[in-house]
This record gives sequence, structure tokens and C-alpha cells, in this order.
Amino acid sequence: MPSVCFYFQVHQPYRLRKLQPFAESASDPFCRESNAGVMWKVAAKCYLPANQRLLELIHRYGGRFRVAFSLSGVAIQQMEEYATEVLDSFKRLADTGCVEFLAETYYHSLSSLRDPVEFRAQVALHTDAIQRHFGQTPRVFRNTELIYDDRIGELVSDMGYRAVLAEGADDVLAGRSPNFLYRHPARELTILAKNYRLSDDIAFRFSDRGWKEHPLTTSKFARWLHAHSGSAELINLFMDYETFGEHQWEDSGIFQFLDALPHDVLSARDWRFQLPSEVVRDLPAREALSYGRTTSWADQERDITAWLGNRMQQEAFHALHELGPRLRERNNPAALALWRKLSTSDHFYYMCTKWFADGDVHAYFSPYEGPYDAFINYMNALDDVRERILGDLPAQENA
Amino acid sequence: MNVLMLGWEYPPHISGGLGTACEGLTRALAGEGVNVTFIVPRAFGDEEAGHMRLLTPDSVVATTRRVEQSGERHVREPVEVIEVNSVLRPYQTPEQYLQSRSEFTQRSEPVSHVMEVLEHGSVAASQAVAHYGGDLFSEVRRFAALTSGLAQRLDFDVIHAHDWMTYPAALQIRNATGRPLVVHVHSLEFDRSGEHVNPDIHRIEGAGIRGADRVIAVSHYTKGVIVRQHGVDPDKIKVVHNGVTRAEAAQRYHLHADDDRPIVLFLGRITYQKGPEFFVRAAAKVLTRTKNVRFVMAGSGDMLEHVKHMVRELKVEQWFEFPGFVRGAELEKWFSLAECFVMPSRSEPFGITPLEALACDTPVIVSRQSGVSEVLRHALKTDYWDVDRIAQLMLAVIRHDSLCADMLEMSSRELLRLHWRAAAEKTSQVYQQAVAG
Repeated sequence: MPSVCFYFQVHQPYRLRKLQPFAESASDPFCRESNAGVMWKVAAKCYLPANQRLLELIHRYGGRFRVAFSLSGVAIQQMEEYATEVLDSFKRLADTGCVEFLAETYYHSLSSLRDPVEFRAQVALHTDAIQRHFGQTPRVFRNTELIYDDRIGELVSDMGYRAVLAEGADDVLAGRSPNFLYRHPARELTILAKNYRLSDDIAFRFSDRGWKEHPLTTSKFARWLHAHSGSAELINLFMDYETFGEHQWEDSGIFQFLDALPHDVLSARDWRFQLPSEVVRDLPAREALSYGRTTSWADQERDITAWLGNRMQQEAFHALHELGPRLRERNNPAALALWRKLSTSDHFYYMCTKWFADGDVHAYFSPYEGPYDAFINYMNALDDVRERILGDLPAQENA
Repeated sequence: MNVLMLGWEYPPHISGGLGTACEGLTRALAGEGVNVTFIVPRAFGDEEAGHMRLLTPDSVVATTRRVEQSGERHVREPVEVIEVNSVLRPYQTPEQYLQSRSEFTQRSEPVSHVMEVLEHGSVAASQAVAHYGGDLFSEVRRFAALTSGLAQRLDFDVIHAHDWMTYPAALQIRNATGRPLVVHVHSLEFDRSGEHVNPDIHRIEGAGIRGADRVIAVSHYTKGVIVRQHGVDPDKIKVVHNGVTRAEAAQRYHLHADDDRPIVLFLGRITYQKGPEFFVRAAAKVLTRTKNVRFVMAGSGDMLEHVKHMVRELKVEQWFEFPGFVRGAELEKWFSLAECFVMPSRSEPFGITPLEALACDTPVIVSRQSGVSEVLRHALKTDYWDVDRIAQLMLAVIRHDSLCADMLEMSSRELLRLHWRAAAEKTSQVYQQAVAG
């Protein structure tokens, strides 16, 4: 009885203002206008219409259609600040009982790579937020950008999670299929590996007119799924929720696709939609799968170089984490929250130079002119934390 | 302009930087509308040389012949010709031939001497053997003999020879055709072998350089060595940078940190157009955050006194230096020493200096009001009037090595392309001068 397991990621960072280190510094380094603006735009194009569509589907199929979400804490917080109707629509989804919310770090951070203390603290904050807003306690974990390796698996297992989501990277699977459950080599931790081909058919290729399968119809996609009958136990379709309406525009037909897909999937006998925790409950974890390198769901490389690939990113990451212990030991929740907003992975993504190579202009989501400005502005923000919050003297190097 | 270019290697079959430089230069020359016929000792068929004609000395060529038509207009038409090996050209009178011949011999050692060196010279002690491999002198001799034969069947206005291995061939062709010769000095035996200079290679180098009508040197440093070692008129030598790395430059100039403070450099005319006062005001802001810095303003101009006055008014003179107008080797030295180069021009049609700075591995801050800011993506950009931002960028460059390293790494490819465009432009000028005599 093969299952389709849908998981959608919802995340919006707190973007920084253009900081002016030689002018009077304002107390809030984040740009309210741009953050509210992005939230409103994405709410209108994606969150509200897609949530409405999902709600209808769940009702239409009487519980046979179900999906999982991971909402970052900073996304939830910005919904509270700028667009409560979005948060309400997620609550309505939660109320159906057909939607599972996964655990992650509140700040969508890279702390799992560097600071286990901080990592656990941020996961706990996120769990609180999910309980408060959706009345659920997450039981399955997914890390920022699906970043995962054996060590992170141990961290997650030690925190009591029974299952984790990860990228079904070719080199890790080494010829094995992503369409079964695996387990951590040393822990009681089940691994759900993303089927990146089928996921990316929707997330990246859906509206690509150069793709030989364009246009992608639901009957075609369901046929591809059903072709796995007998040779798969589950198909993990993991993607950014912004796929619907934001990455793939409404006029591409992505909403009609979403609307018609459950019917075509369920038309084959035995096929069903399941939530990650249901999959883990019902299916056996067949064999151990070791993630010897740190994978993510980004880029061809499926690695972490989009966030920590160049020298600027490494310097910035180091500088951020140096401040962590000092901030945590002060009893200043506002200051700690500000620093934690700076731990959000997007700040590092903006500094990436991978797409900035000569003659290779990729449009990517950055509020900056380029990676150098992103780095300089971020380092200014850290200086600000150091000087205003920790009371360090302005960095003054005397000759 | 039709150029017969003689090289020793071409990508992907290269042992050093020479082949890469030849590719960069010829591509950019093609962009300038220069027709290049490039001869290398061997070709393998996988060279990407669609921008020119790539030949080997034993190529059988269908040559093009220039047909004079009603005065000025030249029409090129491909004609299959089999020519008798001859130094005579149809449009040269015996008197012209003799004259060019005698001019040539006055200026240079007879070609036969060079060939003699090749015949009997010893390469055993030379680093060059290790560098290029094989029986180098016999290779050079073979190349010279075959290439000069091939050249008879080609049509060109100027000969362009890269490094000493091609000089014997080039001198023979010049001798035979009377076409002007440009030799391009990428490196000298002195650079390659230090104390253990092979005297024969050194002699061939000298013969080529003295026998050439024009010389291109890849840096002011190289130009200086050429003048000292081969006693040629500096005016005959034009510097066209191939790009020097900071490490190389530091080695050349024996730069040692007598002062650890990072240098922020302004280099150019100190005039209204160049926005020097924004540099000074930004510097003063930087000094409120760090005193561990030096600001160098190299150049002269009608605002120099005003700028110095500003520096005194702001009480920052102890962090400022004014070395005056610099050029040549001195200019390379400042670029190489600096932590960062700033060009806060009010208006700049293009602005080549940031490219020169980047060629010395020095990150740049340029005003958005310059043409060069449009083509440079791995540079820090600012509006010239935004003193706070200029100061912020200066501070960032001083403080964060990672920023500089990433920018320089990313700019190297972009720079190469831009750099060769500038190099081709200068090289074209050298051709014009060589042809004009």
C-alpha cells in the first residue's frame, strides 16, 4: 500500500535594514517595511490561496488527502506581526486533523552544524510555538534546508525524535531507492529520504517550457507515481510551500495541478496519502542509511556550500557563534532574540558567491545588490550587537 | 590589420602562462578587428582558435593575396598560390628592399649569428630546458627554418613574436619580407634562471629585442630589466600588462612590511573630477573607528593643495601620505602594497585604474558614476557623494580578509576578459606605430 508523503516548508527570514554604522543606530536592525511587504506579497500569491485550496481538498476527500508542514518560528512570528489572517488559515488546516506540523529550529538556523546547546534551545522554542498556535507537539524532525548527517541524526535522536527528514542524495543512497524508510546506523531514528526527482518535477520544472515533459499534467504525474507500485512503499515529495504561486506562478496552472492531483493519485487502488508520523508508525525501516557527509536539499551538490561555502560566510558564521555563549548567559530575552534572528540561514545564503560567477547571472532571492554588500551589512549588524548589547567598546584598533 | 603571430604553445597544450596569454590576447585582438595568423610548432586539433587562423610550420596554406584596386580600397580574396621561396615582394622596389635590409642589419646582429648560436649553443645548464622540455635549440631551429618558408606564402602587415623561442624565426621573416617586427617579452632568461642565465638564450633574447621595431613588455618591471640588460631605447618599449599577481609583485619589489598598517590608496589626478575630497572625508570617518591604517594619495593636480589643506583641517595628517605623481614601476608598487584602492570619481567615462589595481590583487571601491563600475561585478560600489558608505566599505576591506579574498577570487575570471580587452587595444596601437615606422 504505497503512500505519498507531502511536506511543505514555510519560512520567511527577518531581513536586515541597510545599516549605517556612521549614523545614529536605531534599535531595530530589521527592516519592517521589506519584511511586511514580502509577507503580504507571499500571503496573497501563495499562503492564502494555497491554504484555501488545501482546506477544500481535505474536506473533499474526507481525510484521505493529508499533508505535513514545517513552519519556521520566524515565519509564524511575522504572520503574527503582519498577516494574522495567514496564521488563522494555518490554524484552520491544523483543526482538520489531517495536517502534521514538523519540528525544526525556531530561527531556521544552521546551529546544528556548530552549537548543539543553541540548536536544542531553538528547537524547544519552535515546539512551544507549534503547541501554542496549532495544539500539536511535533514528533518528526526536519532540519533547516534538510541539512543532515549522522551526527545531526544523533543530536535529533537524543532529543527524543523517532524520525527525521533528509535529502535522498544519490551518493548517500548509493543505488538504493529513496522510496523506502531507512534508519540511522546507530540510533532508533527513522529516515524519510526525499525523492528529489519527483519533488523537483513540481518544485522546479513545473513551468519550465524547455523541459521535455512540459506541461506537467496531474494524470502524467500520477502515472509516474503509480509506476512505482510494487517497488515502493512511499514517495516523499518535499518542497517549499512557496512553490505554489510564488516560485511557480498562478498562471502556470500550479493551483489547478494541486487541486486535481489527489484525485489522480487516489484513482489507483492501494495508493494513499500519509503524514510522516503515520508512515513511521506503519512502515518498517528496512536498513541502515549512513550520511557520512552533510547533505541538504540545495543545488546540484546537495551540500551546505550555499550557506558556508566561501570565506565570508565562514567568517560571518564564526563571528555569530562567538557571541552565542555571552548572550545566553545574560538575562536579556530581547537581546538574545535579536541575536537569534541573525542566526537565520538566509543571511548566509545572501553572501553566497556560487551563482555570482562571471557571465552567470542567476536571479536569486536577496535583498542585497550582491554577496559583498550582504556580508558587510551582516557584519555591521554583529558589530551593533557587540557594542550596544554586550557593551563592547567600538572596535578601536590603535596603532 | 593583418598580423603574423609566432608563438610556442597554445591552450590546451600549455606548459606555462605563455599559451594562455596568447589565447587571451588573440581573442581580444579579434574583437578589435585584427586578423591574426598564429603559428605554433605543433597543433593537436582540439585548440579553440576559431577567432583566428592557427597554423603549424608545415601547414599547407591557401593564402590570401592583397589586390590593389583603384587607389585606397583593398579587397581580400582567397587565392590558391604556390610561391617561389623569395624575399622579394611584388610591390617592393629593389631600392626599398635594399634599404629595409640595411636598416635591419644596422640595428641588429645578422640573423646568421643568431642561427649560429642555435647551432652551437649549449642549453644544458639552462632552466629553460626543464621549463620547455626536449631538445629546445633544435626545436627552435626547426621552427625558424620552416616558419620563414611558410611566411613567404602569407599576407601580413606586421610580425608579432612571443618570447625568445620564436625570435630567430621572426628575425628571419622580418629579414625576408621587410615587414616590421614586434617582439613580446613575457619573461626573460634572467627571470627564469636568476644567477644561472644561459648566455645563448640571453643572446637570442637580446638579438630579438634589438632587432625588433617595437617591443611589448608585460610589466614596467620587465621593461626596466630589458633596458638595463639589453641596452635598448626605453621609448621603443610599450608596457602591456598581462596581469601580475600580488605575490609576484611583492617578490619583484622586495616589498617588506616596514609598516604593518594597511594602506588605503587613492591614485590618479587630484582634480575635481576624481572626487579626492570624498576620499579624505571618508578617511576621517574611518579614523574614528580605527587608527591602524594609512591613507596614500598618489597623484598631482590642481586640487592637491586644497586636499592637503583639508587633511590638516581635519587633523588627520599623521595618517596621510602624498607621494606625488607616480608611474611605471612606482605605480605597480603602490597598487601591490595597498589593501584597497578607492576611485571616488564624480564622472569617469571608463576608468582603467581599478583594473590595474585588481591585476595587482588589490580590491577596489569604485563610484557608480564610472563606466568601469558597469563591467565590474566583483567590486564594491558607491555613489561618490556617499561619504558614509565609502568609509563603511574602506573599513570592511581593512577588517575582513575574507571579503577581499572572495572578491579577488571571483574577479579573476571577469578581470581576465576585461584585462585582455585593454591589452588588445594597447597592442593595436603598437602595431600602428610599427607599421608607420
